[in-house]
Amino acid sequence: MNLLESIRVALEGVRANKLRSFLTTLGIIIGIAAVIAVVAIGQGGRAVLMTEMEKVGTNIFVIYPDWRNQEQSTGNKFELSDMQVLKDKVPAITHLSANSSNMDDVRGPKDKKYCQVRGVSSDYAFTSKLTMKKGRFFSSEDDSLSQRVAVLDEALADEIFGRTEPVGNMVSIGNTPFLVIGLVAKGESIFGFGENVNAYIPGRAWRNMYGDYINELEGSAVSKEKVQETMDQTVKVLERRHRGSEYASQSMEQVMQSANKITGIMTLIIGAIAGISLFVGGIGVMNIMLVSVTERTREIGIRKALGARRKDILIQFLIESVVLCILGGIIGMALGIGGAFLIAKVAKWSPLVSWWTALIAFAFSAAIGIIFGMLPANKAAKMDPIEALRRD
Amino acid sequence: MMIQVSQLAKIYSTGAHPVVALKDVNLEVKTGEFVSVMGPSGSGKSTLMNLLGCLDTPTSGSYKLDGIEISTLDDTGMARVRNIKIGFVFQNFNLLSRTTAQRNVELPMLYAGIDARERVRRATTALERVGLADRINYRPNQLSGGQVQRVAIARALVNEPAVLLADEPTGNLDTRSGEEIMAIFQDLNRGGATIVLVTHEWDIALHTSRIIHFRDGSLVDDEKVENPRKAVEQLTKLGPGNQNNTHASEISALVVPSGEVPFVQTVSEFDARRGDAQ
Repeated sequence: MNLLESIRVALEGVRANKLRSFLTTLGIIIGIAAVIAVVAIGQGGRAVLMTEMEKVGTNIFVIYPDWRNQEQSTGNKFELSDMQVLKDKVPAITHLSANSSNMDDVRGPKDKKYCQVRGVSSDYAFTSKLTMKKGRFFSSEDDSLSQRVAVLDEALADEIFGRTEPVGNMVSIGNTPFLVIGLVAKGESIFGFGENVNAYIPGRAWRNMYGDYINELEGSAVSKEKVQETMDQTVKVLERRHRGSEYASQSMEQVMQSANKITGIMTLIIGAIAGISLFVGGIGVMNIMLVSVTERTREIGIRKALGARRKDILIQFLIESVVLCILGGIIGMALGIGGAFLIAKVAKWSPLVSWWTALIAFAFSAAIGIIFGMLPANKAAKMDPIEALRRD
Repeated sequence: MMIQVSQLAKIYSTGAHPVVALKDVNLEVKTGEFVSVMGPSGSGKSTLMNLLGCLDTPTSGSYKLDGIEISTLDDTGMARVRNIKIGFVFQNFNLLSRTTAQRNVELPMLYAGIDARERVRRATTALERVGLADRINYRPNQLSGGQVQRVAIARALVNEPAVLLADEPTGNLDTRSGEEIMAIFQDLNRGGATIVLVTHEWDIALHTSRIIHFRDGSLVDDEKVENPRKAVEQLTKLGPGNQNNTHASEISALVVPSGEVPFVQTVSEFDARRGDAQ
């Protein structure tokens, strides 16, 4: 019997038992829909994540003391003089900021707020990709002259100034007055788990208030490709200058890679769960196919008497289970894509349905049909025609 | 020689005691013979039919069908012989119930690898030969018992087999429909078909030219029928049929001199006329 004829017989069978066929394939439908939706959303999410990270800049890196191998886990590991040395010795560094941080009260005309007070270099605006909403970020002259000027995050300014215009007015940080020269626009980053509420002041001014302490160096390399090399050189220079100290480095590139890895693992886990659902679905198909074989014993007997070989019967029942599974797969695919777009609409990122996801889902459902159809089909093929004809 | 059986035996050893279903059977059926097999139930006639039909393999002995030694064939070889050498007609018809007459008749050709257009052409011709030209797209449950059996005969003929094996073909039919079926068989036989028919009814057996008797698994008697009954004459004697069997009333008008106009042709003419009348 040829393939086309078998498919026709299989489709007739599906049409004759619509509800049963639907219930049988439900497991496959749900499994495939889950796989498609999860992968589409995951891929879409990952794409959004990556564009966000690209925006931050893939040539950004951070150097911080590596406390892991050191007995003492405190103390200042950086000196201000490191900055100039690094800029001289590592030419690939385009921007470099020495960052310090401390919690303190920031008081405006309306309210006060206990928040992060960051002492940074003028390059910080570049390395952290700050967008100014109003005014300007402080310059390197402001820093070297230890000017008491401050830049506030928009959310902080709103809170402590209310309706008063912040730029050009004073705030007191701790008990020291600072002139507000600029506001940082609210980021649109998806990483913002809530808004940033920081006050930025020149590094020297910070050190005058809180002491000579630098948490980390934040820099930018000439290019994405040069980041690793630049970081290694920077660490080497620092370790030569500070005997006994060790430094660790991290680039945005590395963060992206680990984010990629994490989303990959997530997809894998959810994929595995969907795989279990498909497996259970396959067992459902096998179960119904076994019932179908028993029900159609007579038919098998007739076909055999008329000259069907074992192979013909085997193929007929295999095709039936494959057709069933592929129909389920197609419905599942449609549901999955629909679901992904629905969720994406709520989550506000576009899902990515790649052609290979659809192809894999299709191949997978066909494979389930073959694997779980094998046992029933084999049972049918091995039937004794005399016994089969005797059955009602 | 169409069928050559020598020292054929079948022993079932599945139970505690082996059951001898058939032993020492020697039988020859010539091409063009019309043979009936008789015997009480358990006499081995069904076992013989299963062996002749290549549905089962003998325990010992030899069986040649149209020159092919069957007892050495494997599963696939037997399926092939069933497909092209044998046409089955069963007591309970054994049509696929959800499938139209035409598709039922196409079934053996499907396994013979005949392409779709040729299948349709031959199925249509075969159904016309048994007088069902106007029932091609009917399903078995839309047909009378006699009509269903005629579809089964069309199916059995469609691959032009060497032998027709009929297992109680009239067992589930009323007398009139049974006679109609026998008329078709006689007509086919007159056209040269070799037919082996199992029955337990003398009335049916007397339509054939040779009767073989089985008892307790052995062939006990082999007699020639001098003057086989003519089904067409029987139909005339039965007179007009009842309301449920409308076409019977006209079949009595179909008596023709033997050998001249094939009966099946007249049946198809008749059915065509009936279709017009409706």
